[in-house]
Formats: sequence, C-alpha cells, structure tokens
Amino acid sequence: MTEQPRSVARMQGPYDRTPERHQPADLADILERVLDKGIVIAGDIKVNLLDIELLTIKIRLLVASVDKAKEMGIDWWENDPMLSSRSKDRELESENQQLRERLKELEQGS
Amino acid sequence: MTTGLYAYALSRGLTDADVSGQPGIGGAPLRLVQLEGLVAVVSEVDLEEFGEEGLRRNLEDLRWLESVAIAHDDVARHAAGRAPTAPLRLATVFLGEESLAAQLAEWHDSAERALDRIEGRSEWSVKAYADPAVRAEPEAQQPPAEGVGAGRAYLLQRRAATQRRAASAQEDADLAQELHEVLADHATLSRRLAPQDRQLTGHTGEMILNGTYLLDDTQVDDFRQLVAELDGRHGHVRVELGGPWPPYSFSSLDAP
Repeated sequence: MTEQPRSVARMQGPYDRTPERHQPADLADILERVLDKGIVIAGDIKVNLLDIELLTIKIRLLVASVDKAKEMGIDWWENDPMLSSRSKDRELESENQQLRERLKELEQGS
Repeated sequence: MTTGLYAYALSRGLTDADVSGQPGIGGAPLRLVQLEGLVAVVSEVDLEEFGEEGLRRNLEDLRWLESVAIAHDDVARHAAGRAPTAPLRLATVFLGEESLAAQLAEWHDSAERALDRIEGRSEWSVKAYADPAVRAEPEAQQPPAEGVGAGRAYLLQRRAATQRRAASAQEDADLAQELHEVLADHATLSRRLAPQDRQLTGHTGEMILNGTYLLDDTQVDDFRQLVAELDGRHGHVRVELGGPWPPYSFSSLDAP
C-alpha cells in the first residue's frame, strides 16, 4: 500500500500530528493501541502477535454475519473481550498454548 | 474484486463534512453509517487483502501492518478531533452493510456508554526510562578477607553484584508503581501497558513504566506540569509525556 496523499488545505484538528510523525517509537504506540495486545519482537523486527490465530479469527476480526461465522465454526461473540467477559480465560488459555508451542519449537531448535 | 467494510471507529455527531478530505486505507473515501445516534466510520477494502486469509498473511508483514495501523490511527485521530470517538481495533472488517448494521445494533448501548466515558477527554501516554549506567554503581572491590582464596573471592563478588542488580531492579519497579499512582491521581482513568521492546522503539535505557491516562480537557495542563516535575525528580529516570491520543485504551465496549 502506498502512502496516503495528504490534503494540504485540510483543517487542522487537535489530534493531527506534525509531519515528523511516525517515528519508530510512535509506531510502537500505535500498534499497541490498535491491537490492544502486547507485541513480541523476535529477532530482526518480526512482529509476532502472540495470538495471530486468535487475532484473525476470534478476537479482533469481526467477520460478517453470525450465520456465516457459525458455519465457519467461529464464535467470536463469545470470545471477543469487547463482547464477553468469559473471553479473558480463553485468551489466557490460548496464549498459554501458543507459548507452549513456541517453546517446543525453540527446544527443537527450529 | 470483492469488497468488505473496514470499520475504524464509532462516533457521535460526526458529519460527512467532518470526514470529507480524510482518506481511509488505500486512499479509499470514508463513509459514515448511522444507527440511532451512533455513527460508524468505514471505508471499502478488498477482501483479498482484508479477508480471513489475507489478514492472516498480512498481519505477519510488519510493513503492511505499519501502513494499515497508521491509516487506521489517522482516521481515528481525525474523527476524535471533531466528535467523541471510540476507535475500534485494527481489522474490524464486515462483509457487507447488513452485518455491519446488525453489529452496530448489538454494540449500541455499550458504545453509548463508552462515548459518555470519553467525551471531552483524551488519552495521554507517560513512559519512564531508567538509565542502567547511572544506577547500581559497583562498589569498590574489597580486598579478599584473610584466608579466602582468589576463586572464592571472585564468586563472592559476583554474588554481591547480582544482589545489587536485583535490588536496583526492585527499586525501579517500586519507583514505576509510585510514579503511576501519582499520575493516576491526576487523571480520570489510567492503565499500565506492558513495557515496549527496544528493538521496535529504539529507545535508550530501560522502560520501567508504560502508562496511559485518560484526561479530562481540564486536567491536561496540570498533568503536563506534573510530568515535567516527575522528570526532574529522579536522577537516573526520565519521564516523557506523549499525546493526545484518541481514547483507544479507555473506549473498549465491554467496560462497565
């Protein structure tokens, strides 16, 4: 994706940033907030979202109609923290599992 | 190309005029979808890129993630500067108008509560960094006590150094908590986030506090002064303020 063209004549709002925005530290702040979950950096700047599986399927991506989701076996409305309090346990559970798998990978030297 | 709707934020009282001229992801024009006083800010995205498979692939790509996150934040920021706005998470994608409308109906009441919570307020970030070079100066080496062999003396010294490091890390943790509590006292709501990875931010020193604070517009000036004061208070710790942010950390739709 290309950089957005910026309208020069745009009215400035209180949240609009200066052109020197989007420094690396700034990006970390943005990601932290738009993902609402910790980011783990492994090695050479590869963002490893602890829960990429969950990220795309259950937690953050609200795909479409509930019917369609049910067909696909997605129950995000039960898993999304924005929608349910039961999700916290699930999140921890899945995060644990992810970490265990990752550890196994590392131990196997992959 | 099959398109879906990417939702950036929920807002109240935002008008078409407010968002005209602000591009969405990929330069797509923003659209507002209304439901009983709630306004969703959306734009069309290609489902090849933002569907389940595309996202799974693309979220692993830091460049892609960066450009989408920045576009997302630009829109959230633009809306937040013009009306009370609760940003949604990255990649909240709908396959069509109907499912978006259904979701908006479901979100309606908690979104109203979230917007009430953040109206007239903004989010500010405070980070504290400890300079490890300044703390935990190794003490002058004691000559080994009578009858202690060189090997044992070396081990004793190593142990003492380890203990000093642990003690200063504990001191920093206590200090971070103390800073956070003082800051929280001057804010409407507060949260501690995980310290960030230096590889992503390039910061120097060790981030001991990554706090985020919801400030009423009337609290901002005092809070700025407080941060400046805290910054000068501890020799080896610098304290930095960032913001304003759209109220990302305080507008989740499930909070009471």
